[in-house]
Amino acid sequence: MLTMQHLSKVYRTHLIETHALRDFNLHVSEGEFVAVTGPSGSGKTTFLNLAGLLETHSSGTYLLDGVDVSKLDDNARSRLRNEKIGFIFQSFNLIPDLNLFDNVDVPLRYRKFPAAERKRRIEHALTRVGLGSRMRHYPSELSGGQQQRVAIARALAGEPRLLLADEPTGNLDSLMARGVMELMEEINAQGTTIIMVTHDPELAARAQRNVHIIDGQVTDLGDEPRLREPVAAVG
Amino acid sequence: MEIRPIFSALMRNKTGLVLIALQVAITLAIVTNSLFIIKERIELMNRPSGIDEAGLFTVSSLPFAPGFDRAGSITQDLATLRAIPGVIDATPINNLPLSGGGWGEGMSTKPIDPNTSKPEDSKGTTIYMVDDHGVNTLGVNIVEGRNFNPDEITDRNERDNGWPQQVIITQALAKELFPDESAVGKRVFMSNDSTGSVVVGVLERLQAPWVNWNGVERATLVPQRVLWSSTRYLVRVKPAERDAMMKTVEAKLGEINTGRIVRGLRDYGEIRKSAYSRDNAMTVILISVIVGLLVITGLGIIGMASFWVTQRVKQIGTRRALGARKFDILRYFQVENFIITSIGLAAGILLSYGFNIWLMQVFDAERLAWYYVPIGAVCVWALGQLAVVGPATRAARVSPSVATRSV
Repeated sequence: MLTMQHLSKVYRTHLIETHALRDFNLHVSEGEFVAVTGPSGSGKTTFLNLAGLLETHSSGTYLLDGVDVSKLDDNARSRLRNEKIGFIFQSFNLIPDLNLFDNVDVPLRYRKFPAAERKRRIEHALTRVGLGSRMRHYPSELSGGQQQRVAIARALAGEPRLLLADEPTGNLDSLMARGVMELMEEINAQGTTIIMVTHDPELAARAQRNVHIIDGQVTDLGDEPRLREPVAAVG
Repeated sequence: MEIRPIFSALMRNKTGLVLIALQVAITLAIVTNSLFIIKERIELMNRPSGIDEAGLFTVSSLPFAPGFDRAGSITQDLATLRAIPGVIDATPINNLPLSGGGWGEGMSTKPIDPNTSKPEDSKGTTIYMVDDHGVNTLGVNIVEGRNFNPDEITDRNERDNGWPQQVIITQALAKELFPDESAVGKRVFMSNDSTGSVVVGVLERLQAPWVNWNGVERATLVPQRVLWSSTRYLVRVKPAERDAMMKTVEAKLGEINTGRIVRGLRDYGEIRKSAYSRDNAMTVILISVIVGLLVITGLGIIGMASFWVTQRVKQIGTRRALGARKFDILRYFQVENFIITSIGLAAGILLSYGFNIWLMQVFDAERLAWYYVPIGAVCVWALGQLAVVGPATRAARVSPSVATRSV
């Protein structure tokens, strides 16, 4: 699903050169649930940005689903992001002025699906996360856990091959965090590859594999992947 | 297109929407009505006066010597002027077209009795007293009848009240006095005149001195030389030679008679400019108002859009992360602005016609031509789209990686 070889990311200003990632090597197979851990400033977010095509790498090779992304222009990267990757952000990143239906609709509109197809996907995704009855509500009317569920629905509506989660439970209490984590496990069980960046060892322990990063390099690739048995979809 | 969700989002932040839409509405109403007034003023200023303005200039003779022979001086001056090489013709004249000051009379097809006649019984006309060279000097066209004969020219002293036997009137006046027949050969009457004058000719066009008078096209030539305290001459030369000829004529008149002052040398460019100075000033003021309003509206849109871009950096980054191309972000802000401007324009169209109706009622303005509002709306809409390009481009440059930043 994802292969990074000798990947590096250097941030340059006119005075400083910062190597956020160096000689970074990682392979994630289809259907894996990988937790990426590491201390603050270790390069977790940079890795997530590169993996999600939110930034370009400085050198090395990155193959996403067999596509060498370094050869893609901005439009092609946007399209690939839209079609193959789903994002779950720590602070949910829902658009406050749009109701849940329209929030989930955002990536689908960029995908240029017909209205009926978008509606079907939105309703299915929101129902799947248990918010099918609250489509016309606004994010401010929901709890943190519910907002994160909307963000997951938004990520799932496009049926991505890869789900990237950035501290998905970082802003949630333990009960809500557990609910979100269970939902992600269920999604993974249905075949979606998940890479979750977290600093929470307890959360990381629930993933199939832990990758540890220090100073921009992988220090522990974790055990060999043990794929979960697929389970039926909920909702 | 994302019109529905953008509109829904705007409805949750009405303050900015209302402010910009209101500004657009007021701008459209003022711009369209101002443009219409400007167009009317320009049309007014561009009306032909009927005379050869490019070749005409005026000069006056003010006697001061005791026992000055006014009639003799006029005869001598005219002979001298007409003999100067380059002078096409010259005439004495009491007042000048477009000059702002003149002689007005009521003219009727029946004798005017000051005690019983009503104002609507006569038509107002300006009176130009000229000799038989008046028509050629002014450069006006006789469309019917004839010019004055030399023997029809009389002198008019300051206390004379009567009118000559012949007059030449403009087409506009002729149509009002004799709507269904030719005016030539008909008798017309002015105040203090029971015998009347016969219309011997009809001019295609000759404007009155008062450019804002609604009867500006009604003028009458009478065959008289005025023997008043000063004499005004109108001189016609070739347009290309006018400036040089003005100096020559002034010098020549000064030479042949030292018992008077030669003054008031003005060409028609100057006279026209002075006649329409208020209209011109109003045009400049209205253009300044239009430019100012458009700039303020444009800046308002830029300011609001820039604020919104700054406020929504995280949201823009998230949209980019979710698959929006730079073009999608650019289009989002253009569509958002299109919606706001369209709401403003919808209100502005109503406001424009309302403003025009108010101008018609209070200032007797003309009805706004229908196409001004749609054209103005397209211009304001284009301004809005142009104004938002900068902020929208800035938004499109927001990196998708902003989505993962914690602040």
